Order: sequence, then C-alpha cells, then structure tokens
Amino acid sequence: MFDQFLSFFGALIDQTGLARFWWGNLVMIALGCAMIYLAVAKGYEPLLLVGIGFSCIIANVPGSDLTQPGGLFHYAYQGVELLIVPPLIFFGVGAMTDFAPMVANPKLVILGAAAHLGIFVALIGAKLLGFTLNEAGAIGIIGGADGPMAIFMAIKLAPHLLPQISVAAYSYMALMPLIQPPVMKLLTTREERLIRMKQSREVTRLEKIAFPIVIGIIVNLFFPPVAPLITMLMLGNLFREVLVVNRLAKTAANDLMNVIIIVLTVAIGSTMSADRFLTVDTIEIIALGLVAFVFGTGSGVVGAKILNLFLKEKINPLLGSAGIASVPIAARVSHNVALEYDSENYLIYHAMGPNLAGVFGTAISGAIMLALLGVK
Amino acid sequence: MTMPDTLYGALMLSLIDFVASMVMISGIGVVLALFPLLNRIGRVDEEALRKRHH
Repeated sequence: MFDQFLSFFGALIDQTGLARFWWGNLVMIALGCAMIYLAVAKGYEPLLLVGIGFSCIIANVPGSDLTQPGGLFHYAYQGVELLIVPPLIFFGVGAMTDFAPMVANPKLVILGAAAHLGIFVALIGAKLLGFTLNEAGAIGIIGGADGPMAIFMAIKLAPHLLPQISVAAYSYMALMPLIQPPVMKLLTTREERLIRMKQSREVTRLEKIAFPIVIGIIVNLFFPPVAPLITMLMLGNLFREVLVVNRLAKTAANDLMNVIIIVLTVAIGSTMSADRFLTVDTIEIIALGLVAFVFGTGSGVVGAKILNLFLKEKINPLLGSAGIASVPIAARVSHNVALEYDSENYLIYHAMGPNLAGVFGTAISGAIMLALLGVK
Repeated sequence: MTMPDTLYGALMLSLIDFVASMVMISGIGVVLALFPLLNRIGRVDEEALRKRHH
C-alpha cells in the first residue's frame, strides 16, 4: 500500500517541473529577478527589463508550457524568428524620430560609420575565441548598439545565439552613460570638449518628406538584405512627416510600439533557459559586447578628430561617440559630457545627426556583412 | 564568393565591410547635402497639411 502510494507520488512529481529543475534554473530565475529589480528600483530600461526578466523567470520553471509550441511565449518568439517584430520596431522608431539633425548637417553623417570599428574588433575577437565566422559577425553587430539590428543579424547568422546577443546589446545600451564618458574623456582634450557648434540650418517640410522616400529607394536599391528594417523605419517617418496621417503616426509611435515591445521582451526572455544561457559562450559574448562598445565609442571620437583635420570650422569631437547607433542614448551622453565642461554648450541637436546616421551605419555594415557571408 | 571561415576571412570581412560602410554612408551624406536644392522646387504649406490631417 505504502509502495503503491510512493509510486503514484513519484509519477505525480514526474508530471510536474520539479523533476527537471536544476541549479541552473535557479541562477536564471535570480537573474530574471535582478532584471526586474534593476528596472523597478534603479529605473534601468524598465520597458525592456520587466518583460525580459519575467519571461526569463517563467522560461526557467521547467513545468511551464508557455515557451513550448502551443504556448504564447513560443509564438512571441516566432514573431522575432520570422523577422516580423524587428521591422515593426523600426516602424515605430521611424514614427517617433525627427531626422532633421541628420539632414541639416550631412558632413557629420560619416561619424555614423566611423563609430562602428567596435563591430569589427568584436568580430575578430570572436573569431579568435573560436566562434564561426557567421557567429562572429552576429556577435560583432552588438557593437552597432542597435537592438533590433542585433536581433535581425543574430536571426540571420546565428539564431542559437539570439538570447546572449540580444541581452548583451540591450544591457550595454542601457549602460552607455557609464561606458562611454571615460573613453570620450580619455581621447579628447579639455579644449576640444569646449568647442561650441554653430547653429544648424532649418530643414524644410519638403526635405523632411523627401528624406524617407529617398532613403527608402537608396536602401532597397543598394542594401536589400537590411531593406525590411530601414524601409519600415522610413515608412514610419513618412507617416510622421507628411502631417496628414497623424492618427497612423501616433499609433505607430505609441500603441503599436508598446504592443511590439511586449512581444519582443517576452520573446527574448523566453529564450533565456539555463541550458542555453549558462555557457562559456555567454560570458565570451558579454565580454566581446563590452569591447565592441568601448572601441565603437573610441573610433567615433577619433573619427571626429580626423574629420576636424579637414574642416575649417571645427566640430566638437564628443559628437563622434554619438555615431554609435543607440538613439538617443548616445547623443544624450555626448550632450551631458559637454555640459560637464561648459554649462551652456548644448550638443544634443548636433549629436542627433551622427546618432541617427549610426542607425544607417549599422544597417549598412550588416547588409555588407550578409552579402560577404553569402547569407540572404 | 563568400569569406573563408578563418581568421583571415574575419580580417578581410572586417576591412572590406568597414571601408565599404564608410564609402556608402559618405554617399548618403552627399545625397543629403543636395537636399537644400529641393527647396527650389517650391515649398510645402504646413498649415494646410495640418488642417487636412486624418
């Protein structure tokens, strides 16, 4: 009778998640809780970390079917894997973003490419650590500091590394105010940091409307591998700038964007199961991500200093670090570092130019990488 | 032709990608520098657009 009871009880336990629970799950649940803590108590990227943290916790409770086929988290991930979610994020971002600073000062656009040396340093580092070239490419793109683009490239080149890459990309984007300033100060003199920028010209409505159309054509013509992202960015921006479809622009920038953020965060968190995440690869990817951000920031600043050699009217080299995509965090960092030395030196508008160009820089780097690796 | 999956391939990929990105984004910069010419075509009446919004 007692044996029978034990056998039934054992069978019952086997039906639950307890039988498959191991210490790794506990570590990941703690990590999920830490993300929620950072979001709630410290205010670090709450829109992202609450959803990622919660779904990370659920993904590490072995009995949960939410992350299995038939479960909602699984289908959220399908939205990411089938590359539906990243273009929709770009659509919302386009509807939120004023590209006038980029149009007003086209010479600063080059900084959007200069600040991407980090991508290639991380790529070579990853190859040295034994990753395949495709994996190295996906890891390198973390240095572009563009979350949706990092996800896009990871899905194309190394889908099995998506959780590590997306977590590294979004974590470092949140930490940019801590990572960038020391590098920026190390590479500039006090005099350079004090340089004031001339006021930019006004961009007309016609130019603002033409911008998404022209860029949409250029991107689809020259960079088809990343066209789904940039095309949607430009569609969102066109909705914003034509002024006659405010309802659609507002929906793209607010309601739709909120829905997509929920889907994205749940999808990323649900991939963070202990067996996939607790590996040496993860530690290496996290370290390479940091290297990429440091070198990207540095190369942007050095790029601005090189640009100054050819310019009559010098630019503030702090603008260079804004060329790393992460809009508008990197621009805000440039602005804040300049304010530390001159409380009336407002760089934010000028920094938005290279910052927005950084989005295109990352996309172009990604497109060329996909072409060179023979991935469609 | 695709890059060989070696350190040499990684170096070549990085070099080509970095230089090509610089060239391409400079091209976008050149296109943007031509944008003020658009204003010779005419101007858009923002007020009229705002009144027409849906």
